[in-house]
Amino acid sequence: MTNSIGEISRASLLLVVGSNTTENHTVISGKIIEAVRNGAELIIIDPRKIQLSQISSMHLRNKPGTDVALLCAMMKLIIDEKLHDENFIGERTEGFEELKASLGNCTSAWASEVSGIPVSEIEKAARLFAGAENASIIYCLGATEHVSGTDIVRTLANLSMLTGNVGKPSSGVNPLRGQNNVQGACDMGALPNSLPGYVNVSDDEGRKEFEDLWGIKIPESPGLTVPEMIEQALAGRMHFMFIMGENTVLSEPNSQKVIEALKNIEFLVVEDIMKTDTTDLADIAIPAACWAEKEGTFTSTERRVQHVGKAVEPPGDAKSDLEILVRLAGIAGAEGFDFKNSREVFSEITKVVPAYAGINYERIGTKGIQWPCSSPEHEGTVFLHEKKFTRGKGRFQPVKYRPPAEVPDNEFPYVLMTGRNAFQYHTGTMTRNSPSLEREAMYPYVEINPSDAQKESVKGGDMVTISTRRGQIRLRARVTDAVCEGQIFIPFHYREAPANILTSEELDPEVKIPELKVCAAKIKRGQSRGVRSCNNTFLNSF
Amino acid sequence: MIDEEMVDYRTVPTVCPYCGAGCGMLLEVCSGEVIGVLPMKGHPSSKGSLCAKGWSSPEFLKSSNRLAKAILREEGEEKEVSLESALGLVVENLNRVLEKYGPEAVGFISSARCTNEENYLLEKFARTFAKTNNIDHCARL
Amino acid sequence: MSVKEEAKNLLGKGMDGVLFYQMKDGSAIPHLFTSKDIDEMPDVREIPDSERYPLSDILSKLLMRFSSAKFGIVARGCDERAIIELEKHQQIDTSRVSLIGFACSPELAKICSCSKPYTESLADEMNEAQEISRGIESVERMSTPARLGFWLSNFSVCVKCMGCRNICPLCFCKECSLQDEDLVESGVLPPSIPTFHLLRAIDMAGRCVMCGLCEEACPAGIPLRTLYGKVSEIVREELGYVPGTRGVKSPLEELGSSVGSDDDLKS
Ligand code: SF4
Ligand code: SF4
Repeated sequence: MTNSIGEISRASLLLVVGSNTTENHTVISGKIIEAVRNGAELIIIDPRKIQLSQISSMHLRNKPGTDVALLCAMMKLIIDEKLHDENFIGERTEGFEELKASLGNCTSAWASEVSGIPVSEIEKAARLFAGAENASIIYCLGATEHVSGTDIVRTLANLSMLTGNVGKPSSGVNPLRGQNNVQGACDMGALPNSLPGYVNVSDDEGRKEFEDLWGIKIPESPGLTVPEMIEQALAGRMHFMFIMGENTVLSEPNSQKVIEALKNIEFLVVEDIMKTDTTDLADIAIPAACWAEKEGTFTSTERRVQHVGKAVEPPGDAKSDLEILVRLAGIAGAEGFDFKNSREVFSEITKVVPAYAGINYERIGTKGIQWPCSSPEHEGTVFLHEKKFTRGKGRFQPVKYRPPAEVPDNEFPYVLMTGRNAFQYHTGTMTRNSPSLEREAMYPYVEINPSDAQKESVKGGDMVTISTRRGQIRLRARVTDAVCEGQIFIPFHYREAPANILTSEELDPEVKIPELKVCAAKIKRGQSRGVRSCNNTFLNSF
Repeated sequence: MIDEEMVDYRTVPTVCPYCGAGCGMLLEVCSGEVIGVLPMKGHPSSKGSLCAKGWSSPEFLKSSNRLAKAILREEGEEKEVSLESALGLVVENLNRVLEKYGPEAVGFISSARCTNEENYLLEKFARTFAKTNNIDHCARL
Repeated sequence: MSVKEEAKNLLGKGMDGVLFYQMKDGSAIPHLFTSKDIDEMPDVREIPDSERYPLSDILSKLLMRFSSAKFGIVARGCDERAIIELEKHQQIDTSRVSLIGFACSPELAKICSCSKPYTESLADEMNEAQEISRGIESVERMSTPARLGFWLSNFSVCVKCMGCRNICPLCFCKECSLQDEDLVESGVLPPSIPTFHLLRAIDMAGRCVMCGLCEEACPAGIPLRTLYGKVSEIVREELGYVPGTRGVKSPLEELGSSVGSDDDLKS
């Protein structure tokens, strides 16, 4: 996030794109609700009805995968009507003319055609956004898990700069990270192309610094991403793999293929806190301590480095991943792993990641510190880009709309979207072992629009089979207008009906995020089983 | 007065293990056992709130599905082994593969659920020991 | 005498531990002090107003877990009211509890609109209780449709975190009506409107001691204090009962115990 969670409640306009904030980042949605109570406008761009829709000023339920088209048309209108922030653009940015030129054909009429949103709505949203004092953009996986994932991030940045909503409180572009430490894992260089602190592995100077520090040569060409590793494994070219705390079988697209691939690896090591479908495939499964059983730091979506306290001992032979890695390195005779605890590792991190330089456990305390924090005197950074962008001037990056890779056809007439629900998390490793959450969302389900349900002769609670070009799963139907006609939604937490058997591995060409959000599917009714409907009679009576 | 050793209750400040909002929480600990969770009132962003997941986070600690022993799978048979011998086997096989196929044939997947320190160590191990940049985590999702 | 001195006295007199807050890296966190660490007990003024926790609930858990231990507790007015009410529900055995009372800061009392921000032991030293308003009046001034709209829109943002129930010192039932599938459908957000909220409000009638912890814990910012305050007002006016006061049990409780048990129904 360029800005902080606490600032959200003071924004005068919030644009929420592809984020079911209430279900996935509940406490952040609380700040959005607070902002609306304080009078903020709330614009939602999401094909699905979400809980925040009830209090939004506008909800644009566009066709899945068409966010970029919508946003480009909004920008064109803002420029055409001269609602953009000329001062900000002049002083802080470059590439405005290119952006303007790139938007030439992005008329509201065109976007309306592509997205299914009326022209008047697009224009209204654009004017509202441009007119807001502090407009903050919040987006999540719903926006990025598309072949056009990188494009949408750029488009949102363009919109934000265009209206001068960068580098001031309660504004900015704010991605919500799905997992607790995605931010940290990236900061730490658990990426094939970058070293800790986002130093590109191919950058000779940057790499040299690490080589000096670590006393060893580092390969200069970028490594493989998870989907690429899986490809290599399938092709029989990956012979050893070490998976630390991920249930790869369920979290990656096209589970069938992932299982094949992992089976194809000569020696697979999986470390986890639970038995999972992935540990079941491991040649060696190593028991790991969970968050309550170890010490360390997590970095939240607002760049807040926070302390994880150890409350109890892990069960049996389980050890923290840190201890396991240190021991492993010891046995291997690897140099530079002589750490007694997480504190010592952290102090090495502060030497290699400039944004963490001024942080230590004492300063983190119970409230954390937001990076960048360059020195022990630096207080940390509430919002980024206050005076300038990291690279000096902010560059507008023109984007061309690309339709989703797999579109519905006669055989597979529905657009399938996947996501989460409020009571389960990711592959369910933790939530499905938590009774009070499991009771709320025990069964896998597919959301179907009432008119589609009628067409397919499906009633709420019926078992249905959903299939795509890659596979099929059976699960219950939930008939609801939360999804539009022609669209269905499946939460991907369930191993008994793993949605990722269905999803497409079409990758965003740049960051290689699989297009998990959109693919084509069909519905087939199975044997019926009556389940109570979820009509809210009380509300209907008003 | 009963045996003093027995009576204890403390709370441990920590961070929610679920989403990236990073809400602050306190784990309530009694005699080496987590007996509950409280939202951290003074936390700068969550300010004393948690969601359903945060509130139930201690529940999975004692799940019967916890992995408590290293498991070796050989010819379809599972058997429990000591952690030490498990790690020995890991190193042995890593070295064997590195020798036979080179660093391109090994891969490391790290986790957005592990700490910064752990992510750093795995990344460092992959790059300095296995000499590969084949390190990634699930965060693209 | 400081609370630390008083707590030390209690430990000297055979108490096993004294429950209060510990200051840790700038935050106040609940902690059971024993003779080992009693010297670290902070003064009541060091505890930030915004960092209150359900100490009475923790006390009740400790009494159950350590079935022969005796505990002291450094308590506010609302903690004490909760302890009194919990005793009436057989959740706390006060013969094993000693209370060290203190008064909240005037600022906190105002934020809480608390009419008794101190324990009984301090009542003589305190000024007469002020008039309290829990936002009830401003809601009542609304027209009926506006009031309905106000509550419905508040209920519609509920995320079913159960924080209001979890943090409530008076919610101790093993089986919670909010998890009764026939009353509140599972897995649906927002939870059944208005059943979910009215169920809880009814459960709070005759119990709620107005600590306000629920409202502070609510991520959706729903004015729960106002809702339960209104329910309490009705119980006070119609039945003359104020939860957390010594003496008789809530008349609603009498009602529940005479017709509520399965045994009665069977016989
Ligand atoms: S309590 Fe909920 S919103 Fe907060 S970090 Fe945990 S999962 Fe995210
Ligand atoms: S605390 Fe608020 S959001 Fe959570 S269940 Fe209670 S009323 Fe709903």
